[in-house]
Amino acid sequence: MTAGGPLADLRVVELAGEQGQWCGRLLADLGADVIKVEPPGGAPERRVGPYHHDEPHPDRSLSFWHYNSGKRGITLDIESAEGGPMLRRLVAGADVFLETQPPGRLAALGLGPDELRSADPRLIYCSLTPFGQDGPWRDFQTTDLVQLAAGGQMAQCGYDEEDNPDAPPIAPGGGNAWHIGCHFALVAISAAIVYRDMSGEGQHLDVSIHEACSLTTESAIPTYFSTGRVVRRQTGRHSAWSMPRPRTQYLCKDGTYINAMFNQRISPERVRIFAEWMDEYGAAADLLDERYRDAQVVEESQEHIADVLHAFFPQVTAEEACRGAQERGLPWGAVRSVDEILADPHWEDRGYWVDVEHPELGDSFRYPGSWGLYSDSPLAITRRAPLVGEHTAEVLAEIGLDAGEIESLRAAGAI
Amino acid sequence: MSERSGGQPARGGARALEGVRVVDLSWVRAGPWGTRILGTLGAEVIKVEWPAPGSVHHNDRYTNTGRPEHIEPNLNNSHWFSEKNVNKRSVTLNLRNLRGRELLKRLIAVSDVVIENFTSRVMQRWELGYEQLREIKQDIIYVSLSALGHTGRDHPYRTYGPSAQALSGMTFLSGLPGEPPAGWGWSYLDDTGGIYGAIAVMTALHHRHVTGRGQHVDLSQVGSGIALAGAAILDATVNGRPMRREGFPPGNRTHWPGTPLLDNYRGPLVAPHNAYRTAPGGYNDWCAIVCRDDEQWSALAGVMGDPEWARASRFAANDGRVAHQEDLDHQIEAWTQTLEKYELAERCQAAGVPAMPVQSNEDRVTRDPQLRHRGMFTELPHAGLGPMGYQNLPFRASATGTTSRRAAPLIGEHNREVLCGLLGLSAEELGEGYRDGSIWPDDLPIEPYLEAEAAAGSGAAS
Repeated sequence: MTAGGPLADLRVVELAGEQGQWCGRLLADLGADVIKVEPPGGAPERRVGPYHHDEPHPDRSLSFWHYNSGKRGITLDIESAEGGPMLRRLVAGADVFLETQPPGRLAALGLGPDELRSADPRLIYCSLTPFGQDGPWRDFQTTDLVQLAAGGQMAQCGYDEEDNPDAPPIAPGGGNAWHIGCHFALVAISAAIVYRDMSGEGQHLDVSIHEACSLTTESAIPTYFSTGRVVRRQTGRHSAWSMPRPRTQYLCKDGTYINAMFNQRISPERVRIFAEWMDEYGAAADLLDERYRDAQVVEESQEHIADVLHAFFPQVTAEEACRGAQERGLPWGAVRSVDEILADPHWEDRGYWVDVEHPELGDSFRYPGSWGLYSDSPLAITRRAPLVGEHTAEVLAEIGLDAGEIESLRAAGAI
Repeated sequence: MSERSGGQPARGGARALEGVRVVDLSWVRAGPWGTRILGTLGAEVIKVEWPAPGSVHHNDRYTNTGRPEHIEPNLNNSHWFSEKNVNKRSVTLNLRNLRGRELLKRLIAVSDVVIENFTSRVMQRWELGYEQLREIKQDIIYVSLSALGHTGRDHPYRTYGPSAQALSGMTFLSGLPGEPPAGWGWSYLDDTGGIYGAIAVMTALHHRHVTGRGQHVDLSQVGSGIALAGAAILDATVNGRPMRREGFPPGNRTHWPGTPLLDNYRGPLVAPHNAYRTAPGGYNDWCAIVCRDDEQWSALAGVMGDPEWARASRFAANDGRVAHQEDLDHQIEAWTQTLEKYELAERCQAAGVPAMPVQSNEDRVTRDPQLRHRGMFTELPHAGLGPMGYQNLPFRASATGTTSRRAAPLIGEHNREVLCGLLGLSAEELGEGYRDGSIWPDDLPIEPYLEAEAAAGSGAAS
């Protein structure tokens, strides 16, 4: 086994805001040396809560910690006379440049893909922006919520009309438009790395968060292409045009929910398995009847089966329901909050959590870490997120600046 | 529908993963979504299926989601199946049969990657765990994509996208406070799991390029999802703050009025931050509007025509707007209901206010000028479906292509090409496989386009 992840030989320069920091974090998990370039004073993402002990401070944002762990950080004013050339010098020593600037801004500073790539044809220059580098919406302003509206997520998430007629389309929280964009930026970068290994050439990648979101809506687009139908929102389950599908989310004894999806092809065998289980609670209703051994009867009885489940689940907690189902091979899951996830020993077994040292606070904290177990190149969080400008001198020295040059940059306000 | 224009392959349609051969044992959604990405990027993806009636592979090809209505379902006419399996080849092999498995091993021996999304112990049961795969091909890259991974006490768990989302915390992030979770209207973690599968393959290819060594990448769909709730996890591990709390999740807002003022993991606490009804009041006539600072708020007030109510001092600063969101949203919606959603978004954008229409699947295909301009969709022919629209990858690459090139393969379409052309079976041996249950199920009629190769060596062939 080698030390470091599969990208341990690569250096990445990240000039990315909220749209792109997750991509840089994943690259750092994968072993790349990621250098985050922030404006003097630190990135705006440092001012996003929650904070360590709820104390707003640019070095205490938990959101920033999560999205920037494993990176080194420098501050640089790329619009200053000295800053632009310094960024160019930094990128010249890198394999990947990841940027989320408004389209055209870097080109105007002489730092566009043509310019940097002509200096180094091996460079992989990835631009990750809301709508890509061209098109009628190119310069539109967005946020995570606004992207999820345009991308199609909101039109698919929400509540059954009969339950909640006034509910709006719902955008799931947590920053997932940014996650989706970053996942596809990482796909693009990974492919470009493989291509470079074979051809020796880098390239410019123009990733659109809007396209990434639109692609990440499963059957919605194919449904429209093949049937011309618009999908509609349903509580806790897939949107669909053929309505209504049986419910899949049930309230349990402890006031929390289980997702107990069964599709139209659920086998009589499965019905018998959960009917026997429910029978232990006297709640199988008629589901042990012979007639449910017929697949056709099962398919026609979906609403009835859902009603029986609805009456059964309040007798058990969601965790009991989940374990009981999984022990019987039923693919159901408790709707967990982070509290239940942190308490689940399975993730401990898998080495999922990483305790990250924060020497500046004399403490260490548990992070979600190893999303994949690479047998020959394990992932790691090598360090907590950088403090503002923490590695400026170190990184500038690596690219050949002496102490005097660094001092004059500092005096000029460029770093 | 237009072909993707700018950034087209510079030199004769080069693709980033040309020369990479992937044995694709995956099914349903997550795995196929990952190999769809690899195939579009140029990998030679060989999808191994076993279409016995009642099997998962059979059902997958029969799924009614996305089949043109009034078409009698068969194995080759689900658009849902076709869309998630573009740019692949199809080979039918019975992996429960010794000879079928022997052919699979010969295929693996000439491939770079094996990917699957079975439950955690299926491959070992078939004696195709990583150690055995290595014996077949020393530097093989093996990517497994299961619910909870191959290690850990609950590794046998099975999930669908929605239950994986439930277990990961993703479902809990979505909804109105005090209501049941709204969850996700599709299998978000199947899509996401597939993307991580593709990333694992490509990063392991780079590692192999550098070191000469393959490896096993053990992915967990649920584990990939948990990390997406990272800020909430740190709020719990650092601050001890539970997610089950008053006012969470806060709908489309960053904060629900009347509840403790806490960060809810969707960026800075600002208002307005919501979806608003628009004219003419149809099911998807909504527009999302956000003002991230006072400047954007005054710009929005300007777009609204500087109404009297917007000058109230309680709305002047962000804190006041957050605290008085019910009133604020009510007033804004009275205005948004007078405008059509695209017109509304454009007026806001012209003033620098982030706003976009809630777009349905139909909107994205027929009205979205950006997706059209960027060539997000491609029309492709298909023998079972006729010409149909397909999605491309959401990025352009200056040296390599990202468009979908071929619709999904017909079942068994590449049996001869792969088993004879690549593995060197004779026509007679191939025909024998159709008769001995290793290449085609006994209880399934042979597709017309396979009849000739299936008859070879039987004496019935000429």
